[in-house]
Amino acid sequence: MITVNHLYKSFGDHDVLVDINEHIAPGEKVVIIGPSGSGKSTFLRCMNLLEQPTSGQIIFDGVDITQKGVDINEIRRHMGMVFQHFNLFPHLSITENLTLAPIKLKLMCREEANEEAMRLLNLVNLSEKADAYPGQLSGGQKQRIAIVRSLMMKPKMMLFDEPTSALDPEMVGEVLGVMKDLANDGMTMAVVTHEMGFAREVATRVLFMDEGVIMEQGTPEQIFNDPQNERTKEFLSKVL
Amino acid sequence: MSALDELKQKIIFVFIEDQRYMYIIKGLRTTIIVTLLALLLGLVIGILVAVVRTAHDQMDKKGLTGLPGLIMNILNAICRVYLTVIRGTPAMVQLLLMYFVFLASSTNKVLVAVLTFGINSGAYVAEIFRSGIMSIDKGQMEAGRSLGLGYAMTMQQIILPQAIKNVLPALVNEMITLLKETSICGYIGLNEMTRGGDIIRGITFEALLPLLVVAAIYLAIVMFFTWIMGKLERRLRESDNR
Ligand SMILES: Nc1ncnc2c1ncn2[C@@H]1O[C@H](COP(=O)(O)OP(=O)(O)O)[C@@H](O)[C@H]1O
Ligand SMILES: [Mg+2]
Repeated sequence: MITVNHLYKSFGDHDVLVDINEHIAPGEKVVIIGPSGSGKSTFLRCMNLLEQPTSGQIIFDGVDITQKGVDINEIRRHMGMVFQHFNLFPHLSITENLTLAPIKLKLMCREEANEEAMRLLNLVNLSEKADAYPGQLSGGQKQRIAIVRSLMMKPKMMLFDEPTSALDPEMVGEVLGVMKDLANDGMTMAVVTHEMGFAREVATRVLFMDEGVIMEQGTPEQIFNDPQNERTKEFLSKVL
Repeated sequence: MSALDELKQKIIFVFIEDQRYMYIIKGLRTTIIVTLLALLLGLVIGILVAVVRTAHDQMDKKGLTGLPGLIMNILNAICRVYLTVIRGTPAMVQLLLMYFVFLASSTNKVLVAVLTFGINSGAYVAEIFRSGIMSIDKGQMEAGRSLGLGYAMTMQQIILPQAIKNVLPALVNEMITLLKETSICGYIGLNEMTRGGDIIRGITFEALLPLLVVAAIYLAIVMFFTWIMGKLERRLRESDNR
């Protein structure tokens, strides 16, 4: 699905990502963990070029998207992204939030888009919020809407950057629930999170990042029960 | 003759006789036309300049190179010169330059006034919009882009609607300033409202009454828009909480 070769990213003289090599196969659910500032968000954001890599290759669906002349807008349609702070469009109703991109990009007509929006809202039990505005929703509801907004584009892969970190504890479950459903439906996912329970349950692979490097990776059992790297052990001892 | 009768006589003499009030009525019409058209032109220029300036600043951080980078840099330089010159010189001088130099061949004084004040106002509107655009969380642009929307589309559909909402009160303010500033158009012989009052003064040798009426009309319009602005701000605050 996506292959990252020798990815480097620097901000000024600050090297944030250093020679990242990674392959995520279709259907995989990769959970990325690591201390704050280790480059997890930057890694994720490089995958859909919200950050321009300093050097390296990112091959998505057979296309090297770092090449000049690639239509990045076309590529991004197939890669949904969910942000820590939801980033819903506050001036638009929930339905409009969902249908704006598919309609403007002429992927669906308005009726189709509204129908699809209703179908997805039903799936996350938020159909009664169709005409509400983001400001009227709780954090958990906002994040479920944000996930659904990405799903409207029928993405092949979803990127999640700490989707539950801005939520009150009682709302974390409802968002993780939607993500688990998505995982069960076979979605290819890359998830940055501090929810170790979710990682254990859903991840096919866990990556531990520190100082811009993937220090260690393996199945959840390997990483959580038998970490090899000292930094991994130290990090896990703090968060578990 | 009582004082009241005297005043009545004066009013009849100053305004009613020879339908002199028409100088003010026609002048008011010209003032409103110039203000509205200039505001419209200013909005168009202002939005374009603001978008160029912010797009340039955002791309600058990403280190844009090649032809698009060059074009952006040139556009941005033009915008900065425009902003500096227009905001650094008096509107009066701009008006005279436009009338006697740049559009010396034109006999249409309304056109000269609209262009001058549109170009002038555009510089202030641009800075209003720029601050409005910058006040929008950068996550909004990222969310739009991550859905596959282009930069221009995201700007147009997501950023600008929110920015415009935020700066509406400042825009109404700019309109009030513009309305009052058009009073200098008398200097190029355009019969706007202030000049209308002044013409009556010249004919009747009565200064107080005509100028007082002109002032009262400006004040009424400004108070009306201030009232609208107050309502607008309240509405916007409510919709922020929805
Ligand atoms: N736009 C940016 N400009 C400069 N430095 C940045 C930028 N984004 C991230 N960084 C820096 O890169 C490092 C990694 O950030 P990030 O990827 O957000 O880490 P994480 O998500 O693991 O907490 C941090 O030191 C951060 O300060
Ligand atoms: Mg982060």
